[in-house]
Amino acid sequence: MAKMHAHRLLYEKTGRAIYISHLDTMAQFQRAFLRAGLEIWQTEGYNRHAYVSIALPLSLGFSSRCEILEFDLVSQVPLEEVPALLNRTLPEGLRVLSCYRAERPFKQIKTLDWSITLDYDSGVPEGVEEGFRAFLSPEHLIVRKPSKKSKKGYTELDLIPMVHRWSMEPVGERQMSLSCNLAAQEPSLNPQLLMETFAARYPHLAPDFARYRREEVFQENGEIFR
Amino acid sequence: MDARLERILLRVQKPARYTGGEYNAVIKDKAQVDLRFAFCFPDTYEIGMSNLGIRILYGVMNGMDGVWCERCFAPWGDMEAEMRKAGLPLWALESGDPIRDFDMIGFSLGYEMAYTNVLNMLDLAGVPLHTWERGDDDPIVMAGGTCAYNGEPLADFIDLFSLGEGEDVTVEMLELYREVRRTGWSRAEFLRRAAQVPGLYVPSLYDITYHEDGTLASVTPKEGAPAVVTKRIVQDLDTAYYPVKTIIPSTEIVHDRVMLEVFRGCIRGCRFCQAGYCYRPVRPKSPEVLIEQGIASCKDSGYQEMTLSSLSTSDYRPLAELCDGLLDYCEPRNINLSVPSLRADNFSMALEQRLQKARKSSFTFAPEAGTQRLRDTINKNVREEDLLRSCRTVFEGGGNAVKLYFMLGLPTETDEDVVGIADLAQKVYMVWKQYGSNRARGVRITVSTAFFVPKPFTPFQWEAQISMEEYRRRVALLRRSITNKSIIYNWHDPDLSYIEAVLARGDRRLGKALEAVWRRGGRLDAWSEYFSFERWMDAFREAGVDPDFYACRERPYEELLPWSMISVGVRPRYLWREREQAYRSVITPDCRKQCTGCGADRLLCDRKCDALYPISARERHATEGEV
Repeated sequence: MAKMHAHRLLYEKTGRAIYISHLDTMAQFQRAFLRAGLEIWQTEGYNRHAYVSIALPLSLGFSSRCEILEFDLVSQVPLEEVPALLNRTLPEGLRVLSCYRAERPFKQIKTLDWSITLDYDSGVPEGVEEGFRAFLSPEHLIVRKPSKKSKKGYTELDLIPMVHRWSMEPVGERQMSLSCNLAAQEPSLNPQLLMETFAARYPHLAPDFARYRREEVFQENGEIFR
Repeated sequence: MDARLERILLRVQKPARYTGGEYNAVIKDKAQVDLRFAFCFPDTYEIGMSNLGIRILYGVMNGMDGVWCERCFAPWGDMEAEMRKAGLPLWALESGDPIRDFDMIGFSLGYEMAYTNVLNMLDLAGVPLHTWERGDDDPIVMAGGTCAYNGEPLADFIDLFSLGEGEDVTVEMLELYREVRRTGWSRAEFLRRAAQVPGLYVPSLYDITYHEDGTLASVTPKEGAPAVVTKRIVQDLDTAYYPVKTIIPSTEIVHDRVMLEVFRGCIRGCRFCQAGYCYRPVRPKSPEVLIEQGIASCKDSGYQEMTLSSLSTSDYRPLAELCDGLLDYCEPRNINLSVPSLRADNFSMALEQRLQKARKSSFTFAPEAGTQRLRDTINKNVREEDLLRSCRTVFEGGGNAVKLYFMLGLPTETDEDVVGIADLAQKVYMVWKQYGSNRARGVRITVSTAFFVPKPFTPFQWEAQISMEEYRRRVALLRRSITNKSIIYNWHDPDLSYIEAVLARGDRRLGKALEAVWRRGGRLDAWSEYFSFERWMDAFREAGVDPDFYACRERPYEELLPWSMISVGVRPRYLWREREQAYRSVITPDCRKQCTGCGADRLLCDRKCDALYPISARERHATEGEV
C-alpha cells in the first residue's frame, strides 16, 4: 500500500459529479483511461483491474478543485496530453487539470482549505461570525465521532487543534461564506462534523443548508501539495 | 440544478440515481429541438439502465434531428417522500426539466408488478392520470415492452401502445406527431392517425363489451382502427441500430457491462415461455457485425466485461466463431466475456470451461420440471441424462455448487412430478458422490421453485393458475421429500405470482383496481419491502374485481381473450394445438428440426425464417447429444 505510483492527476469534481461516490469515482477513472486508449498498470492476481488511488476520499455531495489521483501510465504519451484525452471521456463534472510525475507520498498531506457556503433561508441571523468565534474559543472542544474500530462504537476528537484558521463573510442577504483550513490526515476533520457540532451548540445560528468545497491541499510546511 | 433538489439529494440513498450527467448522456440545445420525449422506466435507475431496449431506443430517438429523448426512472420511497414534501415534479435526468412539459412520455413495461409505478410516476409528474382527463396541452402517454402485448389493465392510463420491436415504429410515431403538430394539433387526431400505423395500438379506439359472466363479448374498433394490430419486428439485425456509444452510469447498476444481443426470437418453444413466442421469428446477427460492435463497445465504454444475450445462446449457430473473435480481443486486455443462457449440452459445457479463466464453482440449470413426462408437457427439451452429464462435467472440473430452477403449478402437474424434483436433485447429488473431484469440500445443491404464472400468447394462456393453498401444499410436499442435508430448498412466496397472474391476463376493468391499489400506497411492487398482498386484495374488493376470475379460471377455446385484438405473429390456433400436444405430453421439435408452422415467419418481408436454413454439422452433433 505504501508503494508510490509514478503518475498523478489533479482534477476537479463539481456540479452533478459531486453525487458520484468515492468508489464509483475510481471506477469512472479506470474506465476513462481505457476509453481514452491510455494503458495504465493493472493489479496482479485473481481479479486484475486498472490501478488507481485517490489521495483523500471526498464525502458524497462535496465538491473539490484539488483532487489527486495516482496511477502508473504504461502508454508512451506525453503527460501534458493526458488531461485533454481524459476530459473527452469523463462524465460531466469530473475535469482533469493536470497530469504530472509523483514526487512525494500522500502521507505528507497535512491540511485542506475548504470553502463552505451556508444558506439561511430567512436571512442570515445576527452574530453568526461572533457565534462561530465563540464556538471555537475554548481550549478543547471534544466531540464523539462514530467509529467501527472502537469498542465503544465512537472515538473522541478535539476539534480545536484541527481548525487552523478561518474567516467568514456574508454573500448577499441569505448566505455566509466560511473559508477554513482544517486538518486533513491523522487525524482528519470533516467540515460537516464541524458544522453539525456548531449547529448543535448554537441552534439559533444553524444554517438551513451547507455546501462544502475543497479548495487546496497542503503539506506540513504550508506548501501546496501535489 | 433545482435548489430544492440540491438539498434533497443529500438526504436520500444513492443520489447518483437522480442526477444524470453520465458519460454519453445526450445533451441537446433546446433551441434546436422541436420534440421532447421522456423515456420513463417504471422501476429504479439500476434496473432501468440495465435494459438494452431502452439504450437502443434512446439512441434511435436522439439520432433524429430535433428530437431530444431523455430518461426518467421511478424514485425510491425516500426520494418520492422528499419530492412530494417539496412539491418537486418528476424531472428528466438530462435537462432536469419537469416531464409534464414534454411532448411525449413513454414507459417501458417489462413486468406486470411495475404497473403501479406507471401510475405513481404520472402522478409525480403532474400529468392527469386518465387518458380522458388529458387535454391538447398534456403529453401523449405511450408504452411499449413485453407487457404491452396485453396492456389492457393500463388502458385507462396509456394513450397508445407500441407493440414489438421499437426501432422503426418509434421513428414513424415521432414523424407522425410532428406532422399532426404542423397541420393543426389535436390529441384525438394524433391518436386516430397513430392507430393507422402498423404496430401502434390505441385502446380508446376499441369498445369492449362483456357477457353477464364477466367474459368479453365483443371488441369493436372505432374510427377506422384496425381489427387486429400486429407487432413490429426489425427485419435485419445487422443493419439495425445498435448502441455502440451508450450511457455509462456513474453508479453501479445491475448489468454493468457491454451487452451484445446475438439473435432475437427462440427456436425452442417452451410452452410456458412468453418471450419464446412473442419474440419470434428467430433472426440472428452475423458474427462479423457482433465482433465489430463488441470491440467498439468495449473501446467506447471502458467496460472490462462483456456478455452475450439472447433467449438461448447455445442456439446461435456461429457461437464458436463469435466467441473466438471476441476472445481474440478480450483475452489480452483482461476483458471478461460471459455467455449466459447456455443449454446443458456438451458443446455448451466445453465453451463454459473455455470462457472461465478463473474456474467457476457454481453452475445453474433450469430443468423447470421434475419428471420427463412434465418436461415433455411443457416442451422443455432437457433430458435427465443431459443434465446429469453436465453436472458430472461441473463436478469433475472442481465445481461444488449446482443451482436447479423449477416451477410448481405447471399444467397437468401431479404429486409424482413434485416429488420428482427431489429425486432429480438427489440424482445430482449421487453424481457428485461418484465424480466430485474434491469431496472433502462438500457440495451444495440448491433447488428453487417459482409459482407458475400463465401468460398471454403462450399455449398456456387458457390455463388456470393453481390456488395459492395448493401451491403451498406442493411446496410442503417437496420440502418433506428432500431429506439430504446437501440439498437446499428455496421457494417463492405465491402471493406476488398470484397478483402477477391476475394482471398478466387482465382486461381493462382492472384499471380501477390498479388505481385503488396505487391510491392505497402501492408502488415499487416488484420489491418485497414495498409489496403488500393485503393492499392488493383490499383494492380488488374496493374495485369490485374478483382476482380469481383472472388468475384461477380456465378459459375455453371459444372465449374472446382481452388481447384478441393484438397479434404477435404466432397464430392462436397454433397455440391451442400446442396446448393439446402438452396435454398429451407430446413434444414439438425445435424450429430447426422441422418448421411447425407457428406463423411468425409471415412477419418477415424478404428473408427466410432462420429456422428454415439447413442444419450444420455442429448442430447435428449437438442435437444428437441431446436426444
